[in-house]
Amino acid sequence: MDDNRVYILGGYQTDFARNWHKENKHISALMREAYYGSIEAVNIDPSDIKAAFVGNFASELYCMQGHLGAFFVDLDSCFTGLPTCRFEAACASSAVAILSAMAHINAGIYDLICLIGVEQMKTVDSAKGGSFLGAAAWYENEADGIEFPFPKLFGKLGDEYDKRYGLDDAYLAKIADINYTNARNNPNAQTRNWFMNYEHANTVGKYNAPIYGKIKVTDCSQITDGAVCLYLASKDFTEKYARQRHFDLNNIPYILGWGHTTAPIEFAKKIADSAKNEYVLPVTRQAILDAYKRSNIKDCWDLDVIETHDCFTTSEYMAIDHFGLTKPGESWKAIDEGVIQMEGKLPINPSGGLIGCGHPVGATGARQILDAYKQITGTAGDYQVNGTKRVATLNIGGTATTNVCFIVEKCPLHH
Amino acid sequence: MIDAIKSVIVLGASGAVGSLLGGLLAQQGLKIYFLSRTYEKAMSGLKRAVAQGRSEVISRNIVCGDYEHHLEIALNEADWIVECVTENLEIKQKIYEKIDLHKKPDAIVSSTTSSLPLSKLPEVRSENFKKHFLSTHFYNPPGKMLACEITSTQDTDPEVYNFMKSFIEHKLRRVVIPTKNVAGFAGNRIAFLLFNQITVLAEKYGVEILDYLIGPYTGRIMPPLATLDLVGLDIHKAIIENLHEHTHNDAQYSFVSPDYINTMIQNGCLGNKTTDKGGFYKKLAGGKLMFLDPATCDYVPAIEPHFAFVEKAKHKIHLGLYKEAFDAIKTDLCREAEIVMDILCTYISYSYSLIGEVTEKKCGIDGIDKVMSYGFNWAPPSLMVNMLGGKQCVLELLKEKKYDIPEPLINSLEPEFHISSAGKYFLAR
Repeated sequence: MDDNRVYILGGYQTDFARNWHKENKHISALMREAYYGSIEAVNIDPSDIKAAFVGNFASELYCMQGHLGAFFVDLDSCFTGLPTCRFEAACASSAVAILSAMAHINAGIYDLICLIGVEQMKTVDSAKGGSFLGAAAWYENEADGIEFPFPKLFGKLGDEYDKRYGLDDAYLAKIADINYTNARNNPNAQTRNWFMNYEHANTVGKYNAPIYGKIKVTDCSQITDGAVCLYLASKDFTEKYARQRHFDLNNIPYILGWGHTTAPIEFAKKIADSAKNEYVLPVTRQAILDAYKRSNIKDCWDLDVIETHDCFTTSEYMAIDHFGLTKPGESWKAIDEGVIQMEGKLPINPSGGLIGCGHPVGATGARQILDAYKQITGTAGDYQVNGTKRVATLNIGGTATTNVCFIVEKCPLHH
Repeated sequence: MIDAIKSVIVLGASGAVGSLLGGLLAQQGLKIYFLSRTYEKAMSGLKRAVAQGRSEVISRNIVCGDYEHHLEIALNEADWIVECVTENLEIKQKIYEKIDLHKKPDAIVSSTTSSLPLSKLPEVRSENFKKHFLSTHFYNPPGKMLACEITSTQDTDPEVYNFMKSFIEHKLRRVVIPTKNVAGFAGNRIAFLLFNQITVLAEKYGVEILDYLIGPYTGRIMPPLATLDLVGLDIHKAIIENLHEHTHNDAQYSFVSPDYINTMIQNGCLGNKTTDKGGFYKKLAGGKLMFLDPATCDYVPAIEPHFAFVEKAKHKIHLGLYKEAFDAIKTDLCREAEIVMDILCTYISYSYSLIGEVTEKKCGIDGIDKVMSYGFNWAPPSLMVNMLGGKQCVLELLKEKKYDIPEPLINSLEPEFHISSAGKYFLAR
């Protein structure tokens, strides 16, 4: 089993506060910076890279440019002929690229894969961008002709929680506040210099307008330009890499387990299907349980940190009970008790998450894995959770349609 | 010596720096007095502070008032008085007199002036006032520009200086640059030398061409003459005059404005604050953009300049090939490319020559790099050394162009190039 481990050698995240459209940069410039930044950070010999995978949601819409895998070849003259591929699963695009990279490494096809998650979203105004994001839902049924479809769909998730268990908006405001607070310590976070506090997040006003149901502006993640480049490697390659650089193999994180599930694409059908289930989104819960099982861990209390997909505060509220921090419908208790804060028992999103750090859709899954790597290697700087050995990530596409959970750790632990 | 700042008075709270700096302080949960000549003016500052923070809740930390009725009351409470009033020595000194009479003994007073000699401001004040007085030069707009130059006078208590340095760095999360008590501190000294040189060149080559040649692709967020329209020509002139009076000028580094700048000011063409009259740029009612003709001080239509080396450099930047962009400039032999190289060489050589004069020698280029980056959004000088091929290349270039070679550049380490801190400065525009 150990021989099949897929190691994470590190990577690079662009500054999510930048507006690459204002800089008049092509999406390939974003990929270029992520790649060269990663070469600098990870000290990889480019000729060792056997394949390049790109996670991206909708560059055809935002940038009128598809075929992003091909742009990787332009990054270095030694890449001509390299196999490349682009992966798409809405906001979980780079998570499915990681799953595919793992499969290729496990099958012995490639021993080192360079993976870039990328999205350039500020090329269009928010209404048009909101409509593009609607393509992650069933467009005809859920987004066509609807302004900002996704805040509305995740507003309905809040409504469903309220209906089944009761949900006080104040807890959603607290989730927003925690993510913004964490982001202040992350030098690559989009909102690191923005003003936010609980009072503002919990107040409706000119600058915090209601969008739908329980969703206000402060409950939403950001429109972000960004890219993340990661290196995934086989055990053999990682041993060689560690030996040459005098690194201890035991300090290099690897993917311990994963879960990958897909629910019906329509949100209403998901909710109808779960009517008799204690979990509002059982298919998402299943991805987490699968990851726990494959990792041979008992429950969430075997984790040190979670990086979850807070595209809206309601999706983080959902993640809290679906990861098992509380009984179903009792996520508020973990918020109340400070469990998910930086200094809490199980911090969620030390990076600031999608709300604070930003959400370049196709890059988010890769960003979560890079943050897991940083936490485990003690290189997260001011947003480091001390002593982190094991991290879970949850990346969801659409309205929790595609669900990918990874457990990342460094060796050896108790199992 | 105070151990915490809980309450702050912002004097000149209706202005851009006062209101936005006050807003940042209010965001930290401190009690902020927004004082201005009238209550209404202070309220206009509050509105700006709220818009900057995009939150009405910060207004709960702000108390508005005017100098006549509220200054004395506020002084009973304030731990820090930050003065952002108009750049007029007499006005500032008059308000300092009142502060001196009523402030708490350990309250700190700072000025945000950038164009008046710092030592003159507290000249006739009490020993206590002088001991608690320093300069905190926040860049405008403070919410977006993170730089703050901090400077003591010969009388400032070092404890007060260190306390404020730490407060601004940690509580306000600004990039603090300790600078010496010299005219223009570090940032304005360098930037306005460049601005002045560009205004001189604009007389010969035209406003539109200069802003095209020294555009954002050369490592700045805005073209230089458009930046001066934002600053205001009157402010520009005041800064240049102050620098001319208090610094060493020579043929290479001159702070003498061309005459047409005076004519612009006389005509009321001050830049963005006089939109009807214009500045270097003038937007007509229909949206058509006109450019100042320095020879006549009239406005002329756009000529839309196009030089192959500029377009090539911009295209390289569009693709993220930053060094190749500068190769395109360096290797072109036309006069216009030479102008661009002259400006970049002046920037590098002047910046390095000021190490030890405007910032501590032991800090090397670090402080100057920071202020140009976080105060102006310009590519810092050490990065420009890198972009032009590294230290040796630049030394040869300066020699070839007959620049004085600054000792600190000769003695500096080869700047490291990190793509993470480079790309954001170069816009394909």
